[in-house]
Amino acid sequence: MTGTRDGALPPGLRKTASDRPGQAQPVPTRDIPSRPWVKMGIFAFAGAALLTAGWEWNARERLQLRAGDISDSPQAWAEARRAADGAPVAIVGDSRILFDTDLERFRQMTGVKPVQVSHVGTNSRALLENFANDPNFHGLLIVGMADTMYFGMPVIGLGGEAIHNYVKNGKPSQVTGLWIDRWLQNYLAFMDRDYRLSLLINRAIDFGARKGVDSPYDDVWKISEDFSGRQFFMWHRIETDRFLQQHARYAWQGFNGPNVPPAVANKVIARSAEAVRRIRAHGGDVIFVRPPSAPQLRVNEQRRIPRALGWDRLLVGANAKGIHFDDLPEARRLVLPEWSHLSRKCAAVFTDAYVRRLVELTPRLKLRADAPPALTRADCVPATVASR
Amino acid sequence: MRTAAGALYEVWGRRAPGWRPVIFNSLTFLVFFAIVMALHYAPFFSWHQKKINLMIASYLFYAAWNPPFVILLWVSTVVDWWAAQWMVRAKRERTRKLWMLTSVVVNLGMLGYFKYGGFLLDNFVTIAGSLGVIYHPPGWDIVLPVGISFYTFATLSYTLDVYLRRSAPAGHFLDYALFVTFFPHLVAGPIMRPTELVPQFAEPRQAKPNQIFFGLALLTLGLFQKVVLADGFLAPVVEAVYDAPGKMPGMLDSWVATLAFAGQIFCDFAGYSTSAIGVALCLGFAMPDNFRFPYGAVGFSDFWRRWHITLSSWLRDYLYIPLGGNRHGQARTYAALMGTMLLGGLWHGANWTFVVWGGLHGTYLSVERWLRARFKGFTPGRAPLLGLAVLTFLLVNITWVFFRAKTFAGAGLVLKGMAGMQAKPDPLIAAGPMVIAVAIVSGIFGTHLAMRNTTLEVVVERTPSVAIASIWTMLLFAVIVEQGQGSAFIYFAF
Repeated sequence: MTGTRDGALPPGLRKTASDRPGQAQPVPTRDIPSRPWVKMGIFAFAGAALLTAGWEWNARERLQLRAGDISDSPQAWAEARRAADGAPVAIVGDSRILFDTDLERFRQMTGVKPVQVSHVGTNSRALLENFANDPNFHGLLIVGMADTMYFGMPVIGLGGEAIHNYVKNGKPSQVTGLWIDRWLQNYLAFMDRDYRLSLLINRAIDFGARKGVDSPYDDVWKISEDFSGRQFFMWHRIETDRFLQQHARYAWQGFNGPNVPPAVANKVIARSAEAVRRIRAHGGDVIFVRPPSAPQLRVNEQRRIPRALGWDRLLVGANAKGIHFDDLPEARRLVLPEWSHLSRKCAAVFTDAYVRRLVELTPRLKLRADAPPALTRADCVPATVASR
Repeated sequence: MRTAAGALYEVWGRRAPGWRPVIFNSLTFLVFFAIVMALHYAPFFSWHQKKINLMIASYLFYAAWNPPFVILLWVSTVVDWWAAQWMVRAKRERTRKLWMLTSVVVNLGMLGYFKYGGFLLDNFVTIAGSLGVIYHPPGWDIVLPVGISFYTFATLSYTLDVYLRRSAPAGHFLDYALFVTFFPHLVAGPIMRPTELVPQFAEPRQAKPNQIFFGLALLTLGLFQKVVLADGFLAPVVEAVYDAPGKMPGMLDSWVATLAFAGQIFCDFAGYSTSAIGVALCLGFAMPDNFRFPYGAVGFSDFWRRWHITLSSWLRDYLYIPLGGNRHGQARTYAALMGTMLLGGLWHGANWTFVVWGGLHGTYLSVERWLRARFKGFTPGRAPLLGLAVLTFLLVNITWVFFRAKTFAGAGLVLKGMAGMQAKPDPLIAAGPMVIAVAIVSGIFGTHLAMRNTTLEVVVERTPSVAIASIWTMLLFAVIVEQGQGSAFIYFAF
């Protein structure tokens, strides 16, 4: 009984259990084709290594992807969510508060580094309610929002998926996978979710030939760089590459969509109020933040859910405090390369501005005595633009 | 018009990996496998110690998903070991039967509780409601232990074989426990019988270098099927139609998505089996074929001799034959066939859609059986054979609709689309991904047809080494740059 049979294989099929009804199945025989497998293996591994090196070169040199840009993952979100329990400050929201908050700046100013639990492509109300259902959270929850998504998004989005899979994504196999993945991404630039083979091929061969269907090409491609602690910043090429900038703007489609019906807005406000109440009952508190969007998007956002009907009524209905970028002089007219998220430098300016307001609104945070001096628009807006 | 939220969702929808135990297409597995190989080939361990190492590794493999569920493995192992031991010691037939039933009840009890508890409760509530009894039970919030359907069937075959006097019980508990937990087949098969694996533990096993590298080639092929074809190219096409609430798929989209699912489920599951066989081969063990180019089947009995062979033969040996098989007349044969396929459908998931999937296959098999009896002696020529293969493939695709759709309403929408009866269909699949999916599925179908009477190994042996090495290189490179995201194999949920 060997279980294997080397070379000179007879033509035709070998027997399987389907050929032996009603009997004990014998030890299977695995045929080993008569080929120089060791040499072929060395050739294949060396060849694949060479091709991968070329792929890495292409990622670094042509696309300017960088090692150390650690793609976010549901496992990383689950890790952050676990860390948020017991944290003095956590941030939830969609991609805007995720990109627009400089966590290190926050720490320098307050001595507290918030746990970033926001998620791209989500309605932040789902995350707010997730914390409301968690009696272990007693800290300050900063809820960032893009109001059309908060009030009008028909589905919860990826935050809901992350919440749903939270426990599963914290299993030992997932955690170890996260560690190994991060370690590799520190050295390899090509390990970027946007640089997957299938994604590249699908984008390359489809230019919207079929009318009425979302083409893979229409999706926004790489837009952020992600670093340790789920610190997201806008990808540097979106800031500088005109074509990528235009493509991302096109992908947002102006944030067009139907107006939010008043009944839906009322429902959202009622649920938010209940979530805020529950968080306070656990000993926590909530402050809403509305990060900037460019006028090109703002006009549609205002049409769909005007500030007076959405944001203002939310703060009243939930009896909560909030910081709207309209009300922060230093946060106005910052650089939003693709209209929806701030440039990396302007994220620090916005963070500086909203944290200074935050400490006025809550006793849970104090501005450190040695906090860096306030940033201004001039710190991130190019001089030529700033002078306009 | 696409919406910003939609765009964001789609961007990240593709990114969101699944969860699961240590699985072959994960970085954790690569590290795990390297350690297992190092321990297995370390010169300073005895064979006994190496078996213990393999068992510990297998428990870790399973526990990496949900440590408490290792207890279920222990229960299944210990109960079946002792049931078989007491069975052979029993003097009376009744006592033997009692021990066999103990094993069946414990295994199916676990399976029933974890997998079908919620399903049964839901159906009970529905029936009670239809009788006017309003009952609101608490939610059935039970997590399904991964692979439970596979390892309960594997261990059941042990006690059933002993009971049916097809085989003697294993001589050593360690060998038996390792059979149950051996990680390559633990969570998604192939469903091995103890007689296939336990004897392999009797003496030291070390693969020769050629076997190890051939095993690695199989592992690469399996990962390519899963990571690149199933997850990378086919799954998004399937999801565009099957996971599009409120959309009305037309004829083109419905057919393409369903064909893509036929390719996806094959690449996913056969990819797992191929990987498992390759991994086992690297360790010096032989595992049975689980797929034999199933889409090249001519007829449904042929299909089931090629698709998930270890399950279909398990159902045949432990369900169809005990139900009477073909030994008690036509009516009983058809009843046994249908009963087997309905339960086979239910094995795949606690949902009536799976039962219908099994029922359709049972119907196909019954009709084929009747036709074969009616046209005895008919031998199709080359062209009719090809026509019958295409017909078989298309009819199998109809069944996949019920397998993939989560609800009957969803299945109905797709079937309506396939029939061209959607009044105002929504285009759902972009042209590029559609073309790629059709090309992949055509490639799979053509390959299966061409190779229906041979094996991969024979074809490989007759192909120049340079060509094989080049293909291997490209498959490996594709797997690396596709960056498998550790998404689950579909059959893990079964």
